[in-house]
Amino acid sequence: MMAMDIFRRIFFGRKEEYWWMKILVPITSIFVALIVGAIFIWSTGRSPVLAYKYLFGASGLVPGPYFKQHFAEMLLSSSMFIATGLAFAIAAKGGLFSIGAEGQFLVGAITAAYFGYAKPFASMPTLIHLTVIFVMVMLAGGIWGAIAGWLKAKMGIHEVITTIMLNWIALYLIEDWLVTGPMKANVETGVSGTPYVSETAKLPIILKGTRLNISILIIIVVAYLTWFLLYRTTFGFEIRAMGYTLIYNMDAPRAAGVSVDARITQTMFVSGAVAALGGAFIILGVLFQFPPVFEGGYGFDGIAVSLIGQNEPLGVFLAGILIGGLRTGATAVQLAHIPKTFPSIIEGLIVAFIALQELIRYLLMKLLVHKKNNTVSGGSDEKAVSGGVAK
Amino acid sequence: MNLLNLSIAQMFDFAAPILFAALGGVVSENAGVVNIALEGIMRFAAFFGVWGAFIGKNPWMGLLWGLLIGAAVGALHGYISVTWAGDQIVSGVAINVVAMGIITYLLEFVFKTTGYSPPVPYFGAAHYRVHISFISKIPILGAFSNLTLLVWFSLIAVGLIHFMLYHTVLGLRIRAVGENPHAAETLGVNVMKIKWFATILGSVLAAFGGISLSLGTLSSFTNAMPMGKGFIGLAAMIFGKWTPIGALLASLVFASAQIVQLLLQGMASGIAKQIPLGFYLALPYLLTIGALIGVVGRAVPPASDGIPYKKEG
Repeated sequence: MMAMDIFRRIFFGRKEEYWWMKILVPITSIFVALIVGAIFIWSTGRSPVLAYKYLFGASGLVPGPYFKQHFAEMLLSSSMFIATGLAFAIAAKGGLFSIGAEGQFLVGAITAAYFGYAKPFASMPTLIHLTVIFVMVMLAGGIWGAIAGWLKAKMGIHEVITTIMLNWIALYLIEDWLVTGPMKANVETGVSGTPYVSETAKLPIILKGTRLNISILIIIVVAYLTWFLLYRTTFGFEIRAMGYTLIYNMDAPRAAGVSVDARITQTMFVSGAVAALGGAFIILGVLFQFPPVFEGGYGFDGIAVSLIGQNEPLGVFLAGILIGGLRTGATAVQLAHIPKTFPSIIEGLIVAFIALQELIRYLLMKLLVHKKNNTVSGGSDEKAVSGGVAK
Repeated sequence: MNLLNLSIAQMFDFAAPILFAALGGVVSENAGVVNIALEGIMRFAAFFGVWGAFIGKNPWMGLLWGLLIGAAVGALHGYISVTWAGDQIVSGVAINVVAMGIITYLLEFVFKTTGYSPPVPYFGAAHYRVHISFISKIPILGAFSNLTLLVWFSLIAVGLIHFMLYHTVLGLRIRAVGENPHAAETLGVNVMKIKWFATILGSVLAAFGGISLSLGTLSSFTNAMPMGKGFIGLAAMIFGKWTPIGALLASLVFASAQIVQLLLQGMASGIAKQIPLGFYLALPYLLTIGALIGVVGRAVPPASDGIPYKKEG
């Protein structure tokens, strides 16, 4: 019990009755989503057993053949989902609905590609080179995010509009200008897209014989720092205060002396910087150049990851692992004659059941709490329980 | 038709999907239900529209299928976010993500293809267009001489929704529920019913938008649809300050920026030819931000927009 209490204190901070619901609801959602997904596959005349066998067999989440490879690939893609998930969560804590991770991810990616191959940097030692790259990546992504924050704070333009517009602007400027123009690789080398980054810009491998690199370690540190920032600093307190009250259009934080305008811009800066990290991971650890056609979507999946993780850093981390695993297993699903986008159906269903958490909470309460109270504390809490359930 | 008329007609073609999505958002958010599932609903409708037109061998069947699936997905959003007072954003994201996966799955399952569906009968075909031949030679007005039915629907919908929201009891109730549901409840308005109605109607409007993508100017479904048009519609709704007329103007601003981009790109000569493609493509989005800075002030949503409503007691 002691350990549980410490666990709760560390990851939730506030004391809440039935705080464990925050964990049980996502887990139940995941199971129900998997069941609904199975029914869907079955209804189209294919085998759900086979589908899940291939999906999880290659997901790196459960031991099996080639586990080491799958595990490495899973962590590799998870680190990107966690980056964009944290980016959404940080903004969401401040009451900002940022759809901008997609664009910030791209900005991070192109920045990493540039500083990865550009001449004066390419001859530096790995440690310095990577530091330079990551600083520039976070600056660039941060600025891309801060633009939306600043426009919201100073001009009152809704962040949903600006982040959507900035996503497209980033995409077109990068794909149809930088990559095909100033940053184009030398034609004679036969490379399309940007030149490849130098050896010193590649993220060091941490598991021999796989592609697994330090990106997962970096993102663990970043997730911890995000939690620290949100729950252990004044800045975090202020943006959470904004988040609580902005929903109801109240001006309490402003009245209490929080400079809301500055906080909005800063929050979006941090959010953009973290999303951009994901872009650096994919360039420096997987692709090693910015390709002519970039397969995106990490930003949008980040929203789902953050929501599954209840917008809490630890939750985002775990959700990122799950989604990373499902995506890693996606290619294997095709062996069961199922399109490789199937995992995104599961992902969406999980989010749907997260949205239905009132229902799930209600059912779980009915199922668990009554039983527990009757046997353990003898019904003295009965009133409180039913009071919590009845809406 | 001359270039001016052609460009204006093309602008309406571009605007229709965005306008429908924006109108869907206007209806639903005026009742306090945020619907970011517009993008996903458009994807569902675009695909089911093509599927229906393929089976029924005419676009009307496609329209019917598209609208039905739109209503069904809207009902899902309503069940989650109205009946169970779930988080509306979370529900919307869920629908968008599911739409992404499920439609790719169905595209392969129904048409045995990846990427795009085979061509089907569509509303852009000559005999489904609305011909008004006597105005075709007049500048500007001539642009309206050969539009598709769906474009006309989108324009008529603006008028109808404006009338409904501001000149009927139903509209007053919708707006009351969006501003202050508890007060509305006290006055005897059935808040749940109104929210459900607005959610379904909004989703059906978004479904019209999806259909105008796949059965309007194109005659097939491509897997990239709706390419962010739902989100642009959401932006147009905010830009238009949650009103139907505002949504129309915002959609036209955005669509005309697209036309400006095409015209500039086409006419570019000399130095303009040196300007990279990316700048032209990014222009509409930059112009939209510019228009927001220049013209519109703070956007104020309906007071209880996005807040789940729970009946007291």
